[in-house]
Amino acid sequence: NTAFKQQRLPAWQPILTAGTVLPAFFIIGLIFIPIGIGIFVTSNNIREYEIDYTGTEPSSPCNKCLNVSWDSTPPCTCTINFTLEHSFESNVFMYYGLSNFYQNHRRYVKSRDDSQLNGDNSSLLNPSKECEPYRTNEDKPIAPCGAIANSMFNDTLELYRIDNDTRTPIPLIKKGIAWWTDKNVKFRNPTGDGNNLTALFQGTTKPVNWPKPVYMLDSEPDNNGFINEDFIVWMRTAALPTFRKLYRLIERKNSFQPTLQAGKYSLDIAYNYPVHSFDGRKRMILSTISWMGGKNPFLGIAYITVGSICFFLGVVLLFIHHKYGNRNTSADIPN
Amino acid sequence: CAGEENWVDSRTIYVGHREPPPGAEAYIPQRFPDNRIVSAKYTFWNFIPKNLFEQFRRIANFYFLIIFLVQLIIDTPTSPVTSGLPLLFVITVTAIKQGYEDWLRHKADNAINQCPVHFIQHGKLVRKQSRKLRVGDIVMVKEDETFPCDLIFLSSSRGDGTCFVTTASLDGESSHKTYYAVQDTKAFHNEQEIDALHATIECEQPQPDLYKFVGRINVYHDRNEPIARPLGSENLLLRGATLKNTEKIFGVAIYTGMETKMALNYQSKSQKRSAVEKSMNVFLIVYLCILVSKALINTVLKYAWQSVPFRDEPWYNQKTEPEKKRNLFLQAFTDFLAFMVLFNYIIPVSMYVTVEMQKFLGSYFIAWDEEMFDESTGEGPLVNTSDLNEELGQIEYIFTDKTGTLTENNMEFVECCIEGHVYVPHVVCNGQILHDCTGIDMIDSSPGGSGKEREELFFRAICLCHTVQVKDDDSIDGLKKNQVPRKSCIYISSSPDEVALVEGVQRLGYTYLRLKDNYMEILNRENNIEKFELLEVFSFDSVRRRMSVIVKSSTGDIFLFCKGADSSIFPRVKEGKIDQVRSRVERNAVEGLRTLCVAYKKLTAEEYRNVQKLLQTAKLALQDRDKKLAEVYEKIERDFILLGATAVEDRLQEKAADTIEALQKAGIKVWVLTGDKMETAAATCYACKLFRRNTQILELTTKKIEEQSLHDVLFDLNKTVIRQNGSLTRDTFSGLSTDTQDYGLIIDGAALSLIMKPRHDGSSGNYREIFLNICRNCSAVLCCRMAPLQKAQV
Repeated sequence: NTAFKQQRLPAWQPILTAGTVLPAFFIIGLIFIPIGIGIFVTSNNIREYEIDYTGTEPSSPCNKCLNVSWDSTPPCTCTINFTLEHSFESNVFMYYGLSNFYQNHRRYVKSRDDSQLNGDNSSLLNPSKECEPYRTNEDKPIAPCGAIANSMFNDTLELYRIDNDTRTPIPLIKKGIAWWTDKNVKFRNPTGDGNNLTALFQGTTKPVNWPKPVYMLDSEPDNNGFINEDFIVWMRTAALPTFRKLYRLIERKNSFQPTLQAGKYSLDIAYNYPVHSFDGRKRMILSTISWMGGKNPFLGIAYITVGSICFFLGVVLLFIHHKYGNRNTSADIPN
Repeated sequence: CAGEENWVDSRTIYVGHREPPPGAEAYIPQRFPDNRIVSAKYTFWNFIPKNLFEQFRRIANFYFLIIFLVQLIIDTPTSPVTSGLPLLFVITVTAIKQGYEDWLRHKADNAINQCPVHFIQHGKLVRKQSRKLRVGDIVMVKEDETFPCDLIFLSSSRGDGTCFVTTASLDGESSHKTYYAVQDTKAFHNEQEIDALHATIECEQPQPDLYKFVGRINVYHDRNEPIARPLGSENLLLRGATLKNTEKIFGVAIYTGMETKMALNYQSKSQKRSAVEKSMNVFLIVYLCILVSKALINTVLKYAWQSVPFRDEPWYNQKTEPEKKRNLFLQAFTDFLAFMVLFNYIIPVSMYVTVEMQKFLGSYFIAWDEEMFDESTGEGPLVNTSDLNEELGQIEYIFTDKTGTLTENNMEFVECCIEGHVYVPHVVCNGQILHDCTGIDMIDSSPGGSGKEREELFFRAICLCHTVQVKDDDSIDGLKKNQVPRKSCIYISSSPDEVALVEGVQRLGYTYLRLKDNYMEILNRENNIEKFELLEVFSFDSVRRRMSVIVKSSTGDIFLFCKGADSSIFPRVKEGKIDQVRSRVERNAVEGLRTLCVAYKKLTAEEYRNVQKLLQTAKLALQDRDKKLAEVYEKIERDFILLGATAVEDRLQEKAADTIEALQKAGIKVWVLTGDKMETAAATCYACKLFRRNTQILELTTKKIEEQSLHDVLFDLNKTVIRQNGSLTRDTFSGLSTDTQDYGLIIDGAALSLIMKPRHDGSSGNYREIFLNICRNCSAVLCCRMAPLQKAQV
């Protein structure tokens, strides 16, 4: 016979009284408001700059490329000039952003073969059925197969600083933009004798929409084939139709100079990626980050709002309790 | 055609498997099952299919199976494993549990089917396994053994051809019941004699009612015409009952195995479903509707969204060839199914498992509860079924029987009233009650000469008009017998009322000695033994509410004594001091005593023969025997001369009042159903605090209905109850009322039947509703003067 068997285990049954509820409200208010302010300030300190280069407006320099076929050679190029009002102090991340692009469509999400991407030789030549209708082309298996790979973002973005009419290119780093696990565990090139990727991908064909096969994505061998970081980044599908993906890194050179000074810049675009057919938009985003990630004012505002409401309610309840709280006790004594 | 009907409705059994002598009616032999009892649901082979079938009859399980199958068939958003695996787990766990329970049942069945039974073959006693018993076998059962099948009682070791049986395992009544052997066979006392019996039994096909049996036995003596004897439920020993106080009996098996009444009752028992389970099923259906509508809306929205071509098929996400070719409606349907699968978690798989586990654990918690431990028996509570324990907290009404539940069912004779003169067996002097006082205290004036005669007749009537058995004492009791010669016998009867009466009369000087060879022996006040021949017994039943005996005194006079409730006796009385007796009866009733009236009638020999003939024809009928008997009784039991009334006290159970108070505090409404007089019942209810002082009593009785029309009474009551309710809620809002007034409703059987009776104009439904409404608003309802049938209706 134990307390458990007799159903007499100690239990806490909270009774809500003014004495317990009021301090709780005040404590919540006092904790949440400073947290909210801190987050809000941090978020505001992040520099972010965004350019839409879709070119749907006739005035846009990229308007001329809007109806050019995606596989035209050489690609249609356009240049957009812009001015940064503030300098970007720390490391800058360069993103491309797409809108109205449903990477979360069920058919789209499934349309890949992970074992092929992991370097499995049998899957390389016999991709999964999920890849249909991007599984084979002209009786040859596609590597990498599937709709996701087929629709990989292929605009080329270049950034120049304009200083007294001289254009100095800004070095963009293309490695280190993918997750470590993706780069080293999930994505692997097929194995075989030698390191010649062209030979390893023998018997496969390029995705229908790609201009070049997968083994010619980059000149460096550790960023080529399936382990190309741009490719890896693209293969991690976005959950919402409006999304941004990391494109390049701009590293700070020395501690005395900001990464990007305030001033004039120009963005050169090799316009390949068609978004007009599905009403999409394309953007280029420059942003710094902080300990809490990118620019996101919402979290700070939410904290501040909840904290203020609690504090306000606490005050109201305190006032009510102070003024009317004693009535019950006096009513209990009839005489 | 008529013969065929007969064939369907009855069966014929050859006692001891002896063919009837040629020339008798040719019976078509029937096949009967053997005495194997099968309570197990499954066998080794059909376990898996049958168990699966049983489990998928549950809505939830079936639903998950459907979801699983849909996932297997269509192109699903989630893998079939995600719903298949939990379902498999649930099914397996339940199957293992049920399989284990069934294995236990198999073991129990085997134990029962193999236990040895004595039966007689060619004049010798043979031991065999119970399952080899056949219909028509003659079986011997010893004391404290249970009967292996339904038997017709042929003879017992007791001289008068009776035996005592307790049917505690069948209907829960632990009192000893008396059964009678067939008249013509009760003389057979050993195996050889029994084996020489040559008879056939005709009886109805097995039916589950424990208390109904009609049959006929044809006994062949040599070459004579067969003698037909009626068989009733008093000759039928049921399987599961236990033989008591009787050394051994012989009987012939008529229903065996799965055809015994016990087995038939098991079969018809449906699984009880608790309110929680029922409401859970309702919720399940509601959620199913939500799920279906959700999937439907989503399908519609999907197609609305896809109506823009660049959304349906953007360049980066083209459809495959088969997808393009697919029929639109088929596509829409599979989309609908896919959404169903996607949202199927709105009904959790684990729900039933969780509920089952909770019930299982809950039953253990009940069993562990220390406060329910009974010191005197050393037993804790025992949980029979884990299906219903959550129901315990949700009881709203308790229907209780007065006798035996509220009261101890231990009667004591208090007083009697003869011709308006009151006799009390105890002498009350200075507040002390002297027991065993043989003198009669006469409260009224001494009776005259004719009164004396009546008085003696009254006591004889009480002595004779009963079904009490005298138990022969064991040797230990024998010592006591010498010391207390007057209390030499222990009376046994199914009704404690009768025992109380016989004992009471014994104190008044008339001792019932025994029933021997149909002669009842009475030791009268002058220590002379009077002998009466017992001719007929019309046993007590709750519809007639009376019993009668016809006896022939040693002088040759034939008397019919009748004893019963006042309401059933008074209308049949021709002469006698009715008013005086009635007033006395009512006074006793108010004091909470149980009253019975006694009346008699003298029969001439001619009349008796008529009666006998009527009875014989009625008793031999195979169909509608009860009805015919009742008609005959009705014809015979009339024109009585009233003798007097008796009063018996039924003490309250020890803690009845506390219990009822606690129940009322818990908000449980108590209904008392009783067959007693209204005043008696009301007094008892006050005594056990069912009605309290502040209870406002509403009466719905025949008397009141005679004054006003039923309609008005009901409406009045309804109004008062509802008005009170209205003011009550107002009171609680203002927070002023401290205790709420509660209502007690008293209703009697006649009024109830008026309410329940279907009316031509179809307004009965209305009355019923009003009545229900009234009852719901009362904290206690007392229904008195109820026939058992009405109890069931309520």
